[in-house]
Amino acid sequence: MTDDRPDLLFGTFVTPTAREPRHAVDLAVTADRAGLDLVTYQDHPYQPAFLDTWTLLTYAAARTERIRLSGNVLNLPLRPPLVLARAAASLDLLSGGRFELGLGAGGFWDAIVAMGGRRLTPGQAVDALSEAITLIRDAWDTDVRGGLRSDGPYYPVQGAKRGPRPAHDIGIWLGALKPRMLALTGAKADGWIPSLGYLPRGADSLPEMNARIDEGAVGAGRDPRAVRRLLNIPDGAAQGGSVKGWVDQLVELAVTHRITGFILSSDDPLSTERYAAEVAPEVRRIVAAEASS
Amino acid sequence: MNELGIAIDLGSIPLERAVSLASRAEAAGLGLVVLEVGDRSQVSPDPWTVAVWVAARTERIALGVARASEEEAATLPAPSAMAKAEESFGLLNGTRLLGDAGGTPAWISADRDADATELERLARGAAPVVVPVQDVADVDRVAVVAAQLTPSEPAGRPAAVRSRRRPGIDYDGVPDSLRETAVEPGDPGYRAVRSTYLRGGAPGLVLRPRTVAEVADSIAFARRHPDLPLGLRSGGHGISGRSTNDGGLVIDVGAMTSIEVLDVERRLVRIGPGATWTRVAAALGPYGWALGSGDAGGVGVGGLATAGGIGYLSREQGLTIDRLRAVDLVLADGTRVRASREENADLFWAVRGAGANFGAATAFEFEAAEVGRIGWAQLAVVTADLADGLRRFGEAASAAPRDTTVFLVTGQPRPGQAVLQMYGIVDSDDPDVIVERLTPFAEIGMLAQQNVVLTTYPAVLGQFPEVGAEGHHGVGEPVSRSGFLPAMTPGFARDVAGLLHSGEVFYFQLRPMGGAIADVPAEETAFAYRTPAFQVTAMGADQHLTDAAWDELADHFEGTYLSFETDRRAARLHDAFPPTVLDRLRRLKRRFDPDNLFRDNFNIDPFPDRAQDALVGAQRGDSDD
Repeated sequence: MTDDRPDLLFGTFVTPTAREPRHAVDLAVTADRAGLDLVTYQDHPYQPAFLDTWTLLTYAAARTERIRLSGNVLNLPLRPPLVLARAAASLDLLSGGRFELGLGAGGFWDAIVAMGGRRLTPGQAVDALSEAITLIRDAWDTDVRGGLRSDGPYYPVQGAKRGPRPAHDIGIWLGALKPRMLALTGAKADGWIPSLGYLPRGADSLPEMNARIDEGAVGAGRDPRAVRRLLNIPDGAAQGGSVKGWVDQLVELAVTHRITGFILSSDDPLSTERYAAEVAPEVRRIVAAEASS
Repeated sequence: MNELGIAIDLGSIPLERAVSLASRAEAAGLGLVVLEVGDRSQVSPDPWTVAVWVAARTERIALGVARASEEEAATLPAPSAMAKAEESFGLLNGTRLLGDAGGTPAWISADRDADATELERLARGAAPVVVPVQDVADVDRVAVVAAQLTPSEPAGRPAAVRSRRRPGIDYDGVPDSLRETAVEPGDPGYRAVRSTYLRGGAPGLVLRPRTVAEVADSIAFARRHPDLPLGLRSGGHGISGRSTNDGGLVIDVGAMTSIEVLDVERRLVRIGPGATWTRVAAALGPYGWALGSGDAGGVGVGGLATAGGIGYLSREQGLTIDRLRAVDLVLADGTRVRASREENADLFWAVRGAGANFGAATAFEFEAAEVGRIGWAQLAVVTADLADGLRRFGEAASAAPRDTTVFLVTGQPRPGQAVLQMYGIVDSDDPDVIVERLTPFAEIGMLAQQNVVLTTYPAVLGQFPEVGAEGHHGVGEPVSRSGFLPAMTPGFARDVAGLLHSGEVFYFQLRPMGGAIADVPAEETAFAYRTPAFQVTAMGADQHLTDAAWDELADHFEGTYLSFETDRRAARLHDAFPPTVLDRLRRLKRRFDPDNLFRDNFNIDPFPDRAQDALVGAQRGDSDD
């Protein structure tokens, strides 16, 4: 790379189906062997058809060699932040620095409450997420002496022990769509990880949403480039789409909208392999060429 | 002799070494690794994450994760979230995680320097033994002792499976005939048998008899556990019928699926309780016969044919129990009996409506009816006036000839418009007749959707997926209320519209009755409500809220259909069975099940006064203290 643009990441977005539990693991192994950078799983603990995503992430990390892993995104209301911080650091240490922390504020409150979580309004959920990010980063920071303290209100802590320290700087990536979440992403997160299909106007929403993240970053005194923009995408070559057209689309997203992580929704190993072999290198090549020209 | 393993203190042993010691333990032939945090004031990795990692990188060794301290527990995920994680561990690794479901410790910790004699002594106890280790030499030393221990008796499940056993169940006393098919919580097949269609469960043992003798063995085993919940399961579709529980026994007759034609002339068929109605329809179809059931093909024969059976063919054929000619049962004392009009007529009366109180049915003999090609209809109409739509449906359904049965389903209406879904059968192969019969329904509101096809009864029931080897995965408890409606009235339609607008009920169904159901005298079966115009069902999210809303409608109803009733207040038993019926059922219960073994659903207590006396006595005892 000739500029300070972060390197492109290509990954997969896998359904944590409980019905064939090893399938979700095999897809991680496939992505790992195919040379992709990242494998991610959605997290809906109240969904009986799904595996527990943390257990799956850990298991898949143990069965892969090189690939990075993340929740896409982990459900904060059912994963208390201090446990999450310790678990994330543990997995990062066990895996040799291969874990990233995709995190969300939660949305299906009836299901969350039924599972023993606490009901929050959407606004409260954003505040709770903000508080949790601070707490998680503090827990990882073992350079600071003394126990963790926080007055809450969502996660009050009185002197809990810090650590362990992760093997690398774990990125905190937020699944964000609404303005306050986007502002929080800019102010505090290391990455943004929405799904293209959920953007209100598809890719046309990106300029506005990126701008909100930028504003959030600037407002917090950060460089907007510190927030990596990732995107969950469908298989552009499915249903007869051409690989060439798909590549052009991703290049456009990278060049115009600063997207530097492309996460393919795929539960099909062939689709994963094609993405790794035909799409990722080509997008990487063209984007690098455009950046240097 | 129990297994021997190691304990690793994640608070003092570096993570990399901890992982390699676990692998070493497996390679050395040890049985388990326990991950603990000795000094909780020290920084330590997350034991769960380490346990999953170790499991993924080993093949066989069992893992134990020490419980969090009470102080820490407050910051942990909700227990249901932890349970989900443990279930996923099992799905990925098999049962290799030690639990403490039985209330006893899942393992015993020995002293670091315990010698072989001491370890052997500890291993004779109830739980596996772990020795704290620091390094590879420690692991190897434990392995040497383990190799010298007297080998444990053959068979038996591994420690991780045994640790999931529930208290009060004589697992080692499961009869030989049932041992191979029984499923306990740590077994790989448990996930597929623990829950039912709409209900989550965690039974301590599921017995799966395949023959009448095995059913008798199952009942004998259940009789030795009189204080545990006991469920009887056929298809596992029950809404009020529990057929699962928490920590109790389930007798699942799902393997008894035979369907046999006994007499072609009389259309007499013999069917096992575990067959589903989809299978029954498919087996009878080639003969040009059908047996009415409910409206879902995945329902099991046993549960429905002992309760009633109000379905698409009931107005023409009667209830499912009206087609029953004989039933074979195993009673609570293990006796095998046949009940029909001629033999054990009392029992035959009781089984048809209250069967779950009297025994485990092992075979049903039905007289099927001739049913050829039929019209199958799915209609949706939109109406601005929900009450008016319900009233008009009531008129159309009750005015329809016996060959036509159309059910109605609706939910909370959107502002200004309600959608009424209707689906049902016209028993005719003449398209003109089918259209004529359906027209009054289609005219209830603005027709938004219609699908009418000429088909067969097996094809109609076959639309519903049957549960496969994966089993049911219901969660929580269904909330359902039922009532028999003597006639559709403007007042009822208005009150139901109010109920639906309140949002307390998300599913509301009307099943037309009448026709052949009413041809049968009320005293013929324990199912005594022969004259209602409709069976009404409402499902909500919260039992108390739904009860409060539904109780407002009570004056409209005469009785309830127990199959769709989940309210457990005592008054419901009196709704299900009118006084004379209940008295007779009680007398028979005293004769056939005096110890009240079969009590899981709509229990007819043989000695209600005795229970009351005991309760009063206990309360007095308390107050004396």
